[in-house]
Amino acid sequence: MIAQTKAPFTAGREIIRQSRKPLKWQDILSYSVLTLAALLVLMPLLWMFSTSLRPLADSYKLPPQWLPTDWRWENYLAPFESNVPFELFFLNSLKIAALTTLGQLISCSMAGYAFARLRFPGRDLLFMFLLASLMVPGQVTIIPIYLMMAELKLVNTHASLILPALISVFGVFLMRQFFKQMPQELFDAARVDGAGHLRSFVQIAVPLAGPGLATLGIITFNATWNGYFTALIFLTSWEKMTLPQGIALLTGYMNSGNPSVVMAAVGLAILPVLLVFLVAQRWIIEALTRSGLKG
Amino acid sequence: MLSPKRSEALAGYLFILPTFIGFAIFILYPLVESLRISFYEYSILGDSYYVELDNYSRLISDSRLRKTYGNTIVFTGFAVFFNAGIGLLLAVFLNRRMPVLMRNFYRSAFFFPILIAHTYIAVIWQYLYQQDTGVINYYLSFLGVDPIPWLSHPAWAMAAIIIMDVWKNTGFAMLVFLAGLQSIPHEYYEAAQLDGANERQLFARITIPLLSPSIFFILVIFMIGALQVFDSIIVLTDGGPGDATRSVVMYIYQQAFQRLDFGYAAAVSWTLFLVIMAVTLVQFLVSRRWVHYE
Repeated sequence: MIAQTKAPFTAGREIIRQSRKPLKWQDILSYSVLTLAALLVLMPLLWMFSTSLRPLADSYKLPPQWLPTDWRWENYLAPFESNVPFELFFLNSLKIAALTTLGQLISCSMAGYAFARLRFPGRDLLFMFLLASLMVPGQVTIIPIYLMMAELKLVNTHASLILPALISVFGVFLMRQFFKQMPQELFDAARVDGAGHLRSFVQIAVPLAGPGLATLGIITFNATWNGYFTALIFLTSWEKMTLPQGIALLTGYMNSGNPSVVMAAVGLAILPVLLVFLVAQRWIIEALTRSGLKG
Repeated sequence: MLSPKRSEALAGYLFILPTFIGFAIFILYPLVESLRISFYEYSILGDSYYVELDNYSRLISDSRLRKTYGNTIVFTGFAVFFNAGIGLLLAVFLNRRMPVLMRNFYRSAFFFPILIAHTYIAVIWQYLYQQDTGVINYYLSFLGVDPIPWLSHPAWAMAAIIIMDVWKNTGFAMLVFLAGLQSIPHEYYEAAQLDGANERQLFARITIPLLSPSIFFILVIFMIGALQVFDSIIVLTDGGPGDATRSVVMYIYQQAFQRLDFGYAAAVSWTLFLVIMAVTLVQFLVSRRWVHYE
């Protein structure tokens, strides 16, 4: 019986394999294209890394040394000793990204839970209303937000970046998806045990939403860590600036920028992203694809 | 004591309250306010004057605005085409039979640049693009290519921005397409092959139709993103040479935050909003004809 059901299956496979055999050149083609593309993607990053380790005098040397002969790790200290307060940029970015992420995790999980699991009049209409606002580009709202912050004397404070980012429509949408997948029986059982809505949320929904919270956390943290547009608008003094601003400063009109020092600074800025990516990449990729596709 | 139904409704409203407070203050109010400001000659220090449609009639005669829209459209067209096209090509190749380890390596390599800030990428590429000391011209010289003025010539500067954008973003398209390809049931291909279909027919009749939701999603997302391009350009070329690579958002930024002409900047930002809305709606309407949802 088993043999019978198996036979046609393997026979089918055999046909496919045979039909692919004469197409062997396609494998060579696909591997060559993929390898070439991977090289093109990795080379600028490798250049950044090797330049960051080169002696300052060799920064512009051609042909570039793809592997430095003497590894100047002390270049990584140079940004901290430059004429801009690099360590402050780092801490500012960390603070803004951490507080923003924390705020969104709370506000988005609460709203996402309500839209997914609670019934109240106007729920679907309100949700549609939120979603529609995703079409509004940030450049339209930023002008009144700036004027508001100017009125409140909050320009050139971190609050001007953090406050507007404490909520996220995308985040609500993402968390709603995760809460929707949970089995209703769990919540019915909690109700029978006399749990209120707050307890159901805190003790049942949130612990089960770990992957969702982590996804939102990583996306938000990375977006804030990398954010430039609003920082450029709101933060004007050096001691308030974020890392992307600081590095642009290090390179740009300051021209203190020896490529080796600038690349070391960029390396330091990318390092947290790289670490998270290496630890959790398979899972980030899966989550991003899934949330993206359904978004 | 509230009835269960009422307490559930109350809980619902309380749970969405933080989001809606933020939504009202930082999205809804600014949206309405920016429309109002666009009818004013707005001053942050002195008096503001209601100027009716002056800001909007200025739009029509503003040659710099026309230039920045032209640049943005050129950038959007090329960036979306190459990001989606190369992403699809890579995804199709990655979806072929190969060791899992290899596939994961390629996928990670293509994906990683997405996570890095545009600012940092532009800083790196600024050095690579240098005419005399840059690595790119150095290697091109072996192919007999004369040094290209990547950042100082209008057309090359635009090309430089597009290449860098594709380098960074095509991995996201690849990722979405690969997920779409992997969700196509193998039986479809097997059945078609038994019926004698060749690889090209399989691609045109099965892969593309079943991948159309992913393609549609990528086109919408990339187009909206490209129309708002800012970070990468401001660091790489600062809109130059001249206005050759200045985008609409950079123009809004300049008018609002460097010239403090908030009323006019608000009017320009509303044109961008309308363009984005129009592009999205048109795509949704057109998609009914070619996107197949299962």
